[in-house]
Amino acid sequence: MIRRNIHPFSGLSPRRFAILGALALICGAGISAQTPTHARAQTHAIASSDAAAAPVKTLGNRNAPITMEVFSDYQCPSCGNFYVNSLKYMIQDMVASGQVYFIHRDFPLPMHPYSYMAARWANAAAKIGKFELVDAALWDNQQAWSADGNIEKFVAAAVGPADFKRIKKLMEGCEVNPNASAKPAAFKNNGQEDHGCALDTYIEQDKQLAKQIPVTQTPTSVITSKGQRYPAMPGFVTWPILKQFLSSLLSQ
Amino acid sequence: MPTGKRETLQKAFLLIGRLALAGMFLFAAYAKLKPQAALPWSVASVRTSLSMFAMQVDSYQLLSPQAVSMAAHALPFVELGLGLWLLSGLWLRYSTLATSVMLLGFFALMVRTYSLGLEINCGCFGPGEQLGKKSLLRDGSLLAFSLAIAICAFLSKRNRGESANSLPAAASEPQRVN
Repeated sequence: MIRRNIHPFSGLSPRRFAILGALALICGAGISAQTPTHARAQTHAIASSDAAAAPVKTLGNRNAPITMEVFSDYQCPSCGNFYVNSLKYMIQDMVASGQVYFIHRDFPLPMHPYSYMAARWANAAAKIGKFELVDAALWDNQQAWSADGNIEKFVAAAVGPADFKRIKKLMEGCEVNPNASAKPAAFKNNGQEDHGCALDTYIEQDKQLAKQIPVTQTPTSVITSKGQRYPAMPGFVTWPILKQFLSSLLSQ
Repeated sequence: MPTGKRETLQKAFLLIGRLALAGMFLFAAYAKLKPQAALPWSVASVRTSLSMFAMQVDSYQLLSPQAVSMAAHALPFVELGLGLWLLSGLWLRYSTLATSVMLLGFFALMVRTYSLGLEINCGCFGPGEQLGKKSLLRDGSLLAFSLAIAICAFLSKRNRGESANSLPAAASEPQRVN
């Protein structure tokens, strides 16, 4: 009996073997080239979805009996004081328990050089669902970044590297600070002109809302309960007094 | 100016002045107590209004939260009482003096807050009025008006006392016989 050679390449001539080898090389190169392109496409898709997403600058249950909108400027000391001494406790207490729905509204004042940039970072973070972390980081370190304008450092520390990369991507085109002393021509009309930063749309939307109320100073709180909107309250309020008011609304 | 005419003018000024101050204090109390956001009058809605007023008092950043709560819950009723007292016209010197002292306190507090640069609501006549030059001018004018009425009330009392004292003296003077 003739024993058949079962070696896979035994029947191949050196020429055929060379052709197969070349094909394998081409395919391999194709696959290896394909992988990063696919990854890039995925990253691009994430970035595109981030860019399309509306920033969520709210905390708590949307159906809570009380809605509290706070118009703030990230660099205003009174706003920082309000967050650290009142809003933080409210978020831990009444927002966490579903009694209050908190909405942050941007109202950067032109007198503060870094407030608009801080609002942009907060909006970028809000687009990827990291508003709470970045918002807290901005308030907690207000004095530090207000000194030199290095907001990025605190945003990076508040979120993970992957999220920070996404936030940075959203901040592309937002490098020019509209509140800086030397304003480019595009900002000379109160920031009304298009100046390349997509995030400014959300800040300007908040400012338009502020005009309707009207809000003229920060912080200003607008409280709505059971369909009734109460007069806007400007200024800092301590947590016990704010809680007293919110509790009285709940007992209505 | 003849004494009789001056007295009449003084009386008229006192009457108009105290009624104006009474109206202002009654309105201030009403503005603080009235239910906000179209709520009906009830104990709960008044409590909410007082809590809202407490937030305005708190924004002056002067008192502790306990003191703020006490002051905010008492002040509208004090204003109500003072308005009624002025309206009654009883012990006018003391009611106008109390009004002036109260307005002086409010004015001093507003000046302090304004000089500190705090951008808050005045809270003088309910929510919604920003503390600024306009409210300072108004409260300063009210203080001056109240002080003028208080001085007028004291002078009026003194004049009445003097004329009451001079009557028996005049009566006791010997009659000149021609």
